[in-house]
Amino acid sequence: MEAKLRASLRRENRIKLFAVLVILLGSAVILFAVDNLLISFVLAFVFNYLLAPIVDFLERRKFPRQTAILIPFFSMAIVIIFGIYKVLPLMTQQLTLLDSQLPKYQIDLMNLVSGTEQRFKGFFKLYNINFSQTINDWLMVKSSQLSSALPAIVSGSLTVLILTPFFAFFMLQDGRRLTRTLMSIVPNSLFEIALDLQYQLNEQMGGFIRARFLEAAIVGAVVWIGLQMAGFPYAGLLGLFAGLTNLIPYLGPLIGAVPAILIALISEDGMVASTMGLNLVVITSIYFFAQLIDIVFIIPFVVAKIVNLHPVTVVIVIIIGSQVMGILGMMISIPIASAMKLVFQTFYRHLTESR
Amino acid sequence: MNYLWDNLFRRGKKDDDTRTILRENILFQDLGERELRFVESLLHVRRYHAGEPIFRQNETGVGMYLIAKGRIEIFVNDPNVLGEEEGREIFITQLVPGDFFGELALVEDNGRRTASALARDESVLIGFFKPDLNEVLARSPEAGIKITLRLAEVLGKRLKETTEKVSELRRAIKDLRSPPASDSALNANSANSSSTNGS
Repeated sequence: MEAKLRASLRRENRIKLFAVLVILLGSAVILFAVDNLLISFVLAFVFNYLLAPIVDFLERRKFPRQTAILIPFFSMAIVIIFGIYKVLPLMTQQLTLLDSQLPKYQIDLMNLVSGTEQRFKGFFKLYNINFSQTINDWLMVKSSQLSSALPAIVSGSLTVLILTPFFAFFMLQDGRRLTRTLMSIVPNSLFEIALDLQYQLNEQMGGFIRARFLEAAIVGAVVWIGLQMAGFPYAGLLGLFAGLTNLIPYLGPLIGAVPAILIALISEDGMVASTMGLNLVVITSIYFFAQLIDIVFIIPFVVAKIVNLHPVTVVIVIIIGSQVMGILGMMISIPIASAMKLVFQTFYRHLTESR
Repeated sequence: MNYLWDNLFRRGKKDDDTRTILRENILFQDLGERELRFVESLLHVRRYHAGEPIFRQNETGVGMYLIAKGRIEIFVNDPNVLGEEEGREIFITQLVPGDFFGELALVEDNGRRTASALARDESVLIGFFKPDLNEVLARSPEAGIKITLRLAEVLGKRLKETTEKVSELRRAIKDLRSPPASDSALNANSANSSSTNGS
């Protein structure tokens, strides 16, 4: 009788577990297979975690959940519209300036490269590399590729732009109900551990995303203010770029500083060594200062507490991420790795300690 | 051992409607209708077959269960606690609809279950777990505090019962070790008289 009961329980549990895994894997396959869905979903996920504390705060102030979600959504829309009116002209101005200067910069850059090439002629000749020609060819190929891929990029971006807020709204509105429904089919024997795991993952992911965006915002703001004070052109654009690239671990801060340093290198007429050098020092110090704030204050006090990974693991994980999914892979590799660690730890503890 | 697991807060009426069960439970009795509806939306209704374990001793516990339907039996299986041979289960108590168990896990960090729970019949349990309590505290702090205060009361009452039982046990052990004063006096007298007789 007891053996029969156990066998039927085991069968039922297996069916339930199979159903849960099919739902999870099926969702993952759909996300990866349909164009623009994964990126929209990841972005919606990010919005969900960024807005959740605001929504909870409003709910505590007795607003109904739906109203509490709509308020930050509308506020964001207002901020975006305000941004378009106020910040965009500034950005457009800077972009137009950059655009008009771009051919000059391109020529200057080529001059810089060929100048450097001349200086190290002996060395390059030895390896028979025509550096300037290689870069020129690469630039030509990339720009033609960009123009042919532009329609697809634009339509893709529009889809993402529509899907992201749509997904984010429903994640905030129905995310918990959806998780509870999924939890209801988890077998009884795994239910508590699954619920606990889901909660911890949710907390960790939310903390991580909020911490990364805080970092990006602070780095972006420091760069913007610093460059503005130094009277450097395109301060806003470069600050925004530095903030965004700061989301890429390790390489991000370097990539973020590249445009400013390039502009400093090539915008000086005739490349007078002394002023160019001074400019470079100022620019580098600003970026360095932004990174210093990040490294000394934000990473140890905010990020490290959330992501419990060894630095070597982090580097390996980022390399794997970059090889599998490029830039997006680098950005999401750390939270995915720390989530995997948590899942492994929880199941290991469950399997070893309950006996 | 029963006082640890027995429902000290049992009420007369039994109903399997989730909201009624919540309203009648000591932890949720202070909540208003709106708060009750909110908490109800977070709970997990779980069904168990007769003979199916709900949790096992030493597993990490995440929260408590309220019984909506069926009987739940509580066992312990710890040779260190009761000095029984390993693998043997000792029946502690049987809980019925309206009762609740496992509430200590709501406040413990990675706390282990101190006993096993088994469904005696086809049962329906309402689960309320740490993530749910945290969510109540985050989204409706007033309701969260009301539940937490009642939870503290329940845990305090259990502690008080435990302390009383421990004192009783200590007294009993002391009595066993040292025989009553009248007996020892009697023994001393008889020893004296025998020695007197002997001399």
